[in-house]
Amino acid sequence: MRLQGVDVAVIGAGPAGMAAAIRAKEAGAQRVLLVERQEELGGLLHQCIHNGFGLLYFGEDLTGPEYAKRFIDRVYDLGVETLLETTVLEISPEREIKVINKGGLQSFRPKAVVLAMGCRERTRDQLGIPGGRPAGIFTAGTAQRLVNVEGLLPGRRVVILGSGDVGMIMARRLSLEGARVEAVVEILPYVGGLIRNEVQCLHDFDIPLLLEHTVTEVHGERRLEGVTVAKVDSHRRPIPGTEVQMECDTLLLSVGLIPENELSRRAGVELDPLTGGPIVDQWRETTVPGVFAGGNVLHVHDLVDNCSWEAELAAEGAVRFAKGERTEGREICLRPGRNVRYVVPQRIRGEGPVTLFLRVREMEEGVRVRVGDLWQKRFRVVKPSEQIKVELSHKDLRRLPDGVAEIRVECEVAG
Amino acid sequence: MAWLQTEVLIIGGGVLGAAVARELSRYRVEAALLEREPDLGWGSTKANMSIVCQGADALEFRPEYKRSRLVWESIPMMEPLCRELGVPFKRIGELTLIRNNEERAKYQKLKTRAEKVGFTGLRFVDRDELFAMEPHVSREAVGALYNPDIAVVDPVRLTIALTESARRNGVEVHLETEVLGIERSGEEFLVETNRGEVRCRFIVNAAGVYVDRVARFLNADEFVLYPVKGFIGILDKDLGHLVSHEIHMRPEAPGEMNIVVPSVYGNLFFGVVLRLGRKGDNSTTKEMADTALRNLRKVLPGVSEGDVIHTFAGFMMFRNWELGWHECVVEASRKVPRFVNVSIGYPGVSAAPATAKEVLRLLEGEGLRLQEDPSFEPGLEAPPSFVDLPPEEQQSLIERDPRYGHVVCRCETVTEGEIVEAIRRGANTLDGVKFRTRAGMGRCQGGYCTPRVIKILARELGIPETEVTKKGKGSELLPLRSKELLG
Amino acid sequence: MKEAQIICVGCPLGCRATLKVSREGEVLEVTGCRCKEGRRYVVEEFRNPVRVLTATVLTEGSRVPLLPVRTSSPIPKEKLREAMKVLAKVRAKPPLRAGEVVLEDLSGTGVDLVATRDLPS
Repeated sequence: MRLQGVDVAVIGAGPAGMAAAIRAKEAGAQRVLLVERQEELGGLLHQCIHNGFGLLYFGEDLTGPEYAKRFIDRVYDLGVETLLETTVLEISPEREIKVINKGGLQSFRPKAVVLAMGCRERTRDQLGIPGGRPAGIFTAGTAQRLVNVEGLLPGRRVVILGSGDVGMIMARRLSLEGARVEAVVEILPYVGGLIRNEVQCLHDFDIPLLLEHTVTEVHGERRLEGVTVAKVDSHRRPIPGTEVQMECDTLLLSVGLIPENELSRRAGVELDPLTGGPIVDQWRETTVPGVFAGGNVLHVHDLVDNCSWEAELAAEGAVRFAKGERTEGREICLRPGRNVRYVVPQRIRGEGPVTLFLRVREMEEGVRVRVGDLWQKRFRVVKPSEQIKVELSHKDLRRLPDGVAEIRVECEVAG
Repeated sequence: MAWLQTEVLIIGGGVLGAAVARELSRYRVEAALLEREPDLGWGSTKANMSIVCQGADALEFRPEYKRSRLVWESIPMMEPLCRELGVPFKRIGELTLIRNNEERAKYQKLKTRAEKVGFTGLRFVDRDELFAMEPHVSREAVGALYNPDIAVVDPVRLTIALTESARRNGVEVHLETEVLGIERSGEEFLVETNRGEVRCRFIVNAAGVYVDRVARFLNADEFVLYPVKGFIGILDKDLGHLVSHEIHMRPEAPGEMNIVVPSVYGNLFFGVVLRLGRKGDNSTTKEMADTALRNLRKVLPGVSEGDVIHTFAGFMMFRNWELGWHECVVEASRKVPRFVNVSIGYPGVSAAPATAKEVLRLLEGEGLRLQEDPSFEPGLEAPPSFVDLPPEEQQSLIERDPRYGHVVCRCETVTEGEIVEAIRRGANTLDGVKFRTRAGMGRCQGGYCTPRVIKILARELGIPETEVTKKGKGSELLPLRSKELLG
Repeated sequence: MKEAQIICVGCPLGCRATLKVSREGEVLEVTGCRCKEGRRYVVEEFRNPVRVLTATVLTEGSRVPLLPVRTSSPIPKEKLREAMKVLAKVRAKPPLRAGEVVLEDLSGTGVDLVATRDLPS
């Protein structure tokens, strides 16, 4: 395939990448190339066989594969070019992309790039769980692939650390496949994912949810034999004397997702330590001109629908850039304030519209979230596990007085 | 009829056993090596900091110890050996940080002692030069003692290459073979293994953590070895740029080494927290991890727990643990003829080349006739390390075998071609593939590549995926198929 | 008269509703919900708890070992385990398109099991 002359290259063909490639074509890019390391388009959607996708994007309740199929069909219908089983080895700060596949090595320089590599899972060693290194410990996403795509089960007695959605969904999945899920262990005093999943994945299957607990040790040399679980205090430290031993042969870890930005970093893209992803403006353009980002690579989303929508923004920005349009106008920083962990985008350049995402640091009730003086809304409860999405229009931004260089995004206690 | 008949039997496929095997393969001697694990180097060889040194972490340089002599003789041998075998070797140098006059005085004494035995390369660097060489280390340091000779290697790759070279030159190698007992029968030894009986005339006991157990089969042990467990951590490659030399700071407490060192692959290793341990229990504890991290932060203040991508513990068998210093066991047994015990304790990797030669001298002393074999082939075609090749070679490799164009481990850029080659050369477990190719050693710790490596292992070995193990029987990774529990 | 506790999953608030139920099983009162959609949901959930079942079936004659499937509409919650046992015996044979019925009338529920992706040979 001739790679010279690509207008927009999209790295990663999951829900973000596919949406970006489609939007780039729709926005007028002649040659759009979608690069994917797996053997087919769709990314992680294929292993997410449960439903709950597309409620917002399509107004339908779809499974991961069904959501993927809508995008895959459109990718091919529109004539997006695809490079499968192809890994991007490097992106230079000048947007030179080096790829490798069974055909060999190739380099090319598209007019614009959209990064959509998604995220990876936090590992056992990053948590520092002591013990040996037996077989039987997996991150929940890896286990999901093995169970739902490869047809292999990790074990028969399972403990799951982390009550995020992936962990709870795997609790249900393994129970349905006949395994025994002994408990879901959560370090915080509240569940990490959706209430719907707590009810339909844990209550439905009588799986105990141990809040304010954590795994303090794993046992077993060749194969996992059990774990030690202890209660934690308000600083999330294990309380000595509260340890219990749980027999199990499988431990799944659902303890956090990390945006996968190795390529971004080596391209010179500046990352925001608060998100783990690139610093971007409202077009999702990073600090490297012509390089855009959207989806989980930018910040971890709750809804796949938002991954797709955000990547579409990035694609529009990429097409504008490829056509030679550049953003003029003042630059405003968005800063996270009280009880706000992060805000994306981190800057606004020129005019709106701006689609903004934020997450709070801690759960709070009876609050008002505000974006400077431009927007505010009351919430009965806000949780770190639930992103808040804000749409600011041209008009909203025009209300900003001249000379304002910073807007604080805050979560205040409402009267 | 014995399962295996040979002249010299080497028990243990770690770096020492492998070095002896290769040395023996230079001669017209029938030899065999037995290793109990599914692959080579899985004991202490794989669980250390991969440093090649003069034993200088203790900075004692006592010439009256055989251990010192073996290490010093090995130093000029290691680089040519690695080049010959096509395995990584990187000279990085070492900086021992000085924080006060007391430390300066101590290191001055050591420098003098080192010079007395011929190491004239050490020199002091002042504050400015130190921070020019290492801008990220703690500002507590006012200077350092610089040792330019320190290098790092990949001990497991070295062990595998030594063994492959030995095998190529006639040594038989048997994996998953454990010695269960040894008896004497006239001029022969009868060695009972899980595979059958081995008959041999000479035994080299290089069984690592189990050297004393093997010696005890014949009451040949005249030494007491203490299992000292060392905790080591690995930092994300992103932080690899923080240091370029081995950095050494005097620890606060006994039983703690405070070292940060870049590996040949660009990760940073830190540690080592030492505790007396129980053989076979390689588990890490929170206390060791916290201590190691606390010490690390004294050298690199900016590092945090989240930067640690992996931790592990390995054993060193110390002969005189209670002295805080130890001698090695590289000697012919005084009780049993033709039986040589080999245990360095630390630093085993560094001492391997000269130790192998010493073991052959000891075997000769026990009556082994060594006649050089003119057909000895010293070189070895190492398996290709794709990511290290220049682009033209990468391209021609892919053209020859398209599987080298399929990246399986994204974090370390390991291709299917390399994984298949590793399996062809003997890897038959997930850990075996990991230690030979690095697949699974990156920041995602196998999150992406594990399912794929399992499939490749099943395919290449012709076994069902449910039989693929992490590290040998009993560690099956995916023991059940979908629907199997639904009756 | 008895009480039932149901958590509403309609929105992230997760209201915990208490239903007062007569001896004949008639819902007399619902407290704890903050909206009328929620009240409707918890009553339905009490009377007739249903779930969409998503799972995989084994394949035959395909290079892909599993086919992801779903029930075309929710089925009674108490039928999930039985449905999984029935589904375990199904072998999906290519060619199949996403949306095609893989098994009709799963476990007597009147609901079909459909493929959620194409199955190649």
